[in-house]
Amino acid sequence: MEILVLFGVLFVLLALGVPVAFALFGAALATFAVIDIPLIVAVQRMAAGISVFTLMAIPFFIFAGDLMYRAGIAERLVRVADAAFGRVRGGLGLVDVGASMMFGAVSGSAIASASAIGSTMVPLMDEKGYDRDYSVNVTVTAAIVGLLIPPSHNMIIYAAASGIGVSIGDLFLAGIVPGLLTGGLLMLTAWLVAHRRNLPKGHFPGWRAFSRAAVFAVPGLMTGVIIMGGILSGIFTPTESSAIAVLYTILVGTVVYRNLGWTGTWEAAQKSVRTAAMVLFIIAAATAFGFALALLEVPAALASLIGVLTDNPLLTLLIINIMLLMLGTFMDMAPLIVITTPIFLPVAMASGVDPVHFGIIMMLNLGIGLVTPPVGSVLFVGSAVGKLPIAQMVATIWPFYLTLLAALALISYVPALSLWLPGVI
Amino acid sequence: MMDRLADLLAKIAAAGLIVMTLVVGWQVFGRFVLQSSPSWSEQTALVLMIWYVFLAAGAGVWERFHIRIEILEQRFDQTTQRRLRITIHVLIAVMGLVLLVSGSQLAWLVRDHVIPSLGISRAFAYVPIPVTGALVALFSAGRIRVRLAEGR
Repeated sequence: MEILVLFGVLFVLLALGVPVAFALFGAALATFAVIDIPLIVAVQRMAAGISVFTLMAIPFFIFAGDLMYRAGIAERLVRVADAAFGRVRGGLGLVDVGASMMFGAVSGSAIASASAIGSTMVPLMDEKGYDRDYSVNVTVTAAIVGLLIPPSHNMIIYAAASGIGVSIGDLFLAGIVPGLLTGGLLMLTAWLVAHRRNLPKGHFPGWRAFSRAAVFAVPGLMTGVIIMGGILSGIFTPTESSAIAVLYTILVGTVVYRNLGWTGTWEAAQKSVRTAAMVLFIIAAATAFGFALALLEVPAALASLIGVLTDNPLLTLLIINIMLLMLGTFMDMAPLIVITTPIFLPVAMASGVDPVHFGIIMMLNLGIGLVTPPVGSVLFVGSAVGKLPIAQMVATIWPFYLTLLAALALISYVPALSLWLPGVI
Repeated sequence: MMDRLADLLAKIAAAGLIVMTLVVGWQVFGRFVLQSSPSWSEQTALVLMIWYVFLAAGAGVWERFHIRIEILEQRFDQTTQRRLRITIHVLIAVMGLVLLVSGSQLAWLVRDHVIPSLGISRAFAYVPIPVTGALVALFSAGRIRVRLAEGR
């Protein structure tokens, strides 16, 4: 009965078009009212949800991503990728994936990647005679790879939500091989689709141009090195390294690339603080919602339900994956991580899945949700950047969906892909 | 008027983000160059973040940057859409009032607790909740007024 209130209110509010954060908070409030718990507890949980030191890295990562976009780092990454992959058929599709992977290595957000790389790549691909639906499809699916390639602010949300102290450094390392694998598979798909459609190819600009492009991209790519190096060596906490990344990007964008300065920084701060507030406010509301779920013992009920269905670890992982994919189609990534991690992580661990490995599965799985209708924030960004209606985008996107699902299956069932690197370093 | 208030809040929040960056930057500088990490920096940054997240989230009700599902809404005609939006903002206003009342109670309850590293009352970390509650109620009322004016 109370469970019905919790989910009923959530779905009605979401369907009405109430913002996700308020829908989650409203559902929690309604449930608290029904089971007669003071509403002050819901508000307290909300405050506790963002009073977490590691979450401070999120606004910094968002800020750094926006600064990089304004500093023109995306353009420079595109130039490197172009020199490397431009010569093959559908080369710019591969360039798009390659540049997105590099952008993923300096920024932690798929939305930032889709808008930064998309606004550079889509006009370029138009100019060279690529179909618009192709360029947008490649851009949005490639942006998902950035969730796996560190740094990734969603991994920080996962580490905080796990409640068992999963190491952010391990998660970051674990994402590298799956990220390269997914990116490689997407490149292959982009190439195959380009062949079928007979899309144009470019030519190799020569080693001189390649090394020139690479040299100009180095100061930008250093951000990723600072973040990863700082965290892995234990010199910086993730929060500190992300703050240093912000300061470093302001410096490089102002002094080296010369297109940031005080104005650019101030504009980026105003835009980023809105995005950060939206994300963290959702996390706060999702924490209150998650507390209501825990009170009603939903996690335990769901765990025993899965236990009744199967005791095979492979099938358990499949069931969890399917449930997450379904939830991902209509909910955003951050609240789903906060709400579902306490539910599914214990079930997964009971069937022998390492929490770091599970985090990587969750990143890609919920990432797929970001590019699937009806609700997918990266899909929306792609549609806006490419000025293409969602329906038209999605009509030809299936080879890329299949690729992401294949990558998800590989990453789910080959734990070594995620766990090998953290094991050797 | 509302536009300017929301923009002002976002500017204050943006300044908060920049100050937070400097505070954490100073913490690193302190540890490596001055050989002593400031004890206040981490907690200060966190309280700052809570403040600017809640303030900017309040402004978001007016600027409508909170993500929501619009698929269903688009299927309705203009009049129904307008009624639906009014309903949404009434619901949000109610939640704003809950944040205002319960948030004030919460801040009052913890007024004697002290944040150890800062020596200030823990209520500082909770006050942004009722403030935002009031802002949320105000901005959603503003949105309702705009919609009602459209109907006339």
